[in-house]
Amino acid sequence: MAKYMSMDNLRFVLHEMLNVEELCNLPRFSEYDKDSFDILLDSVKGAADQYMYPTFRDCDHDPARFEDGKVIVHESVDTMMKQAGENGTIGMTFDYEVGGMQLPHTVEVACGHIAEAANNNLTGYTGLTNGSANLIVTFGSQELIDTYVPKMLAGKWGGTMCLTEPQAGSSLSDISTSAKLNDDGSYNIVGQKIFISGGDHEYCDNFVHLVLARIEGAPAGTKGISLFVVPKNRIQEDQSLTSNDVITAGDFQKMGQRGYCTTHLVFGEKDDCKGWLVGPENKGLKCMFQMMNAARIDVGCTAASVATAAYYASLQYAKERPQGRRILSGGVKNVEAEQTTIINHPDVRRMLLLQKSVIEGSLALLLQCSKYQDLAEHGPEDTRTQNHDLLELLTPIAKTYPSEMGRVSISNGLQIFGGYGFCTEFPLEQYYRDIRIMSLYEGTTGIQSLDLLGRKVVSKNGEAMKLLTKEMIETIKSASNYDDLKPYAEKLKEASKTLESTLMHLLQFAMNGQHERYIADATIFMELMSNVTIAWQWLKMATVAKTALVTGNMTFGSEFYENKIHTMKFYYKYELPKIFSASETLKHKDSLTILEENKAVLA
Amino acid sequence: MKQLVCISKTPETTAKINFKDGNTAFDESGVQFIMNPYDEWYALVRAIELKESLGGTVTVINVGPASNDVVIRKALAIGADEGIRVDAEPKSALYVAKQIAANAEGFDLVYCGKETIDYNGSEVGAMVAEYLDQPFVSFATKLEVEGNSATVTRDIEGGSEISKIDTPFVLSAAKGMAEQRIPNMRGIMMAKKKPLNVVEPVGFDDKVVVSSFTLPDAKTECKMIDPENMDELVRLLQEEAKVL
Ligand SMILES: Cc1cc2nc3c(=O)[nH]c(=O)nc-3n(C[C@H](O)[C@H](O)[C@H](O)COP(=O)(O)OP(=O)(O)OC[C@H]3O[C@@H](n4cnc5c(N)ncnc54)[C@H](O)[C@@H]3O)c2cc1C
Repeated sequence: MAKYMSMDNLRFVLHEMLNVEELCNLPRFSEYDKDSFDILLDSVKGAADQYMYPTFRDCDHDPARFEDGKVIVHESVDTMMKQAGENGTIGMTFDYEVGGMQLPHTVEVACGHIAEAANNNLTGYTGLTNGSANLIVTFGSQELIDTYVPKMLAGKWGGTMCLTEPQAGSSLSDISTSAKLNDDGSYNIVGQKIFISGGDHEYCDNFVHLVLARIEGAPAGTKGISLFVVPKNRIQEDQSLTSNDVITAGDFQKMGQRGYCTTHLVFGEKDDCKGWLVGPENKGLKCMFQMMNAARIDVGCTAASVATAAYYASLQYAKERPQGRRILSGGVKNVEAEQTTIINHPDVRRMLLLQKSVIEGSLALLLQCSKYQDLAEHGPEDTRTQNHDLLELLTPIAKTYPSEMGRVSISNGLQIFGGYGFCTEFPLEQYYRDIRIMSLYEGTTGIQSLDLLGRKVVSKNGEAMKLLTKEMIETIKSASNYDDLKPYAEKLKEASKTLESTLMHLLQFAMNGQHERYIADATIFMELMSNVTIAWQWLKMATVAKTALVTGNMTFGSEFYENKIHTMKFYYKYELPKIFSASETLKHKDSLTILEENKAVLA
Repeated sequence: MKQLVCISKTPETTAKINFKDGNTAFDESGVQFIMNPYDEWYALVRAIELKESLGGTVTVINVGPASNDVVIRKALAIGADEGIRVDAEPKSALYVAKQIAANAEGFDLVYCGKETIDYNGSEVGAMVAEYLDQPFVSFATKLEVEGNSATVTRDIEGGSEISKIDTPFVLSAAKGMAEQRIPNMRGIMMAKKKPLNVVEPVGFDDKVVVSSFTLPDAKTECKMIDPENMDELVRLLQEEAKVL
C-alpha cells in the first residue's frame, strides 16, 4: 500500500514537540498514558489501511447521488459508521457519563489526521455525528441526551449541522427557517436548508439534524436565532420510528469530496415537522459557535491531511520517474548517461520541500491548537483563560492556512507528475479537487479573515496577541541556545515585529472610524499572520529536533531530525519573506477595493 | 480452556534495516516496532474468538525488554486477559522457546505465528512443543475446538490437510485463521488495568551465535519502456533482468 501519511511525524509532534502525555497528569485524562495513545493511533492506522485508503478512489468514481428519492453513498460509509460506533471513535472526547472516552482533543485530532489522509470522503460522516451529538450533550436537556446521543455514538444514527439556507450562507443573521411553539413543548419547524453534509443515506436508521431557526416573534438578526434538534424520524412511545416530515430534495453534485453527500433538506412541507429546543431561546448561534472552534480545526486538519497524502504520492512518483539529466559542473549535460529520476532536479526538490513545509507546519499548528483546547477546558484553573484566548486567536489561522496553502502545495505536487498529474489515472487530481472545499465551508477564507482581523486580534484589548508574542519569544529563546538556529530565531523576531507594526498601521483606520478600510484587506492580513505563525511552529520543531540530535535522545533515526531542520530552513528562505510584500500591500496608501472610492471599476 | 499466545515484536514493514557491531546485531535506532502480524492477526484473534465462544482465558507471552510492554498492552487491548513478559533479550529462537516453555505449563493450547516478519525463522513453535513434549501443527489456517478435541486445517501443495488432535498442543497460525481485529477504545483503557507479569528468565546455555547479517542488494531504479517498444522490453528482460 502506498504511504499516505507519516506516523513518525505524527508521533514526533505529539510526543516530542507537544509532550502530549503531560495531559495525563490532569484528572480528566488520568486513565491514559503514552502507550495507550500510541496503541490508539496504531489502531486507527490499522482501520485506515484496512478499508479507508483502499476506497478513497472508489468514493470519487462512484459518488454520492440522488436516485429515486434516495441518497446513494458508497458502501464504505456503512463500514465507517459501524466500525466507528463499535470502536468508540464517535464522541471519544465526551465525558464517561454520556458514553464518551474522555480522550484529549489533541489525540482526537491526531486520529483524525490519519483517517482524513486515508480517505477524506468518509470522515465527515462520523465527524458531523460527533459534532452534533456534542451540541446535544453540552446544551440539550437530559431527555434529549438520553433519546439521541447513545444511538449517535453507536453510529446507528447520523448527525448533521443545518445552518445554510439559499439566502443565508456567510450571513447567518438572514436565516428564515421558522419555529412555532406547540402545546407539548415541541416546535413546528418550517424551512429549507441547503448544502447539508451527510444529511441522508441508507446506512443510518435516522438522522439527527441540529437546525438553526427563528422562533415566531424573535428579534431580527443573529439575536433571534435558536437551535433545535430535528430528527428525520420521530421516536414513538413504543420506540418505533415515524416520519418527521423532513424531505430530502436532492444531493448537490460537486467537483470534489464526491463521496461525501451534500443534501438539500425541506422541513415541514406538510406542517408536521417537530423540533426540540437545544439551549436557551435566541441563543442558538452562540451555542453553535461554541462548537465551531472544533469544527474549524477539523476542516483545517482535513486540509492538512489531504495535502499530506498528496505529498507522499508526489514523493514516491518523483523517486520513480526518470526524466532528463542533471546539469554537471561546467554546465554540461551528459546525454549519453541514463536519465536521472526527477527527484534529483532542484526544481522538483523545491516543490517537494514546499509541500513538506506546508503540511508539517500545518499539522504542528493544528495539534498545538488542540492542546490549547485541552488545557483551556481541563488544565489548571489559572491557565485556562490564557489557553482559551490563544485557541480563539489561532483557530481562524488553523482553518485557513492548511486550506489555502494545502491547495497550493497539492498544486505543486500535481506539477511533479507532469502531464500525468492532470490525468484521472493518478490520484493527484482528486486530492486537488477534494481540498478545494476546505476554504469554503465552515466559513470561507474571507469570513475567517474578517474574524481574525475584525474580532480576534483586537479582542480583550489585544491580550491574545500579547500571549502569542510571548509564546513566540519563548521559542526564539530556546532556538537561540543553538548557534546554527540563531539566525532563524532572529528572522522570527523580525517577522513578529513586522506583524505587529502592520497591525498597528491598520488599527489607525479603525480608530479613525474607517472600519471598512480597516478590514478591506483582511485576507492579506490573514496571509501575513498565518505565515508568521507557521514560521513559529517550524522554529519550534527545529529546536526540538536540534535538541534530540545534540543530546542523542532520539526516537527516530538522526536523518529524521536533520530533515526537520532542513525543512525549517527551506520555509525561512522560500516562504517567510513573503510577509514583507504582504505588509507592503497592507500599508499601501491606495485604497483600491472600497466601493465608493472606485465606483467606475467593475461596473 | 486456557490458551497461551506467543507474541513477538518486529520492525514496521517500512523501517530502514541496518546492522551494527560488525554486522552481528540489528541496529534498532530510529526503528518503529509493531506486533508481528501473524501473531496478532491470526493467532491472537483466533484465541480470543475461541475464548468468546467456549470460555476460558487468553494469556500472551513475550520474551524481551521493558520496551516491549507496549506490544503486550496492545494484545491486552485487543482482548487477551493477561500478559507475561520474560525480562530478557531474545537471543535466539531456541533461547526464546526455552523461556516460553518454562511459562507454558498447564495451557490447553499454545499459539505462535507462522513466522516473524523480520527473521522468518518459523522455529519457536516447534521448539516450544518439543520442550513441552506436545504435538505441533505448523502453518494452520483453520482451527475449531470441541471439548478437548481440535480440528486443524493446514494448506498443502494444491489442497489442504485436516487433522484431529487432542489438547494440549502447540500450533503456528497462518493467514486465513482469523481476521485482523482493531482494538477499540474501551479495550485500550481496560488494557491498562489487566495484569502484566514480568518474570525472570530461566538459565540457559545458548548454543547459537550469529556470525553476521548481510542486506540484499539495493533496489535498482525502475525503467519506463514505451508500450509501443515491446522488443526493447523483451531485450531488457533477457539481457539485464535475466528473467527470460
Ligand atoms: C460541499 C459543501 C458542504 C457544506 N456543508 C454544510 C453543512 O453541513 N451545513 C451547513 O449549514 N452548511 C454547509 N455548507 C455551506 C457552507 O458553509 C456555505 O456555502 C459557506 O458558508 C458560504 O456560504 P454561501 O455559499 O452562501 O456563499 P456566500 O455567503 O454567498 O459567499 C460568497 C462569497 O462572498 C464572500 N462574502 C460573503 N459575505 C462577505 C462579507 N461580509 N465580507 C466579505 N466577503 C463576504 C464570501 O467569502 C465568498 O467568497 C456546505 C457547503 C458546501 C459547498
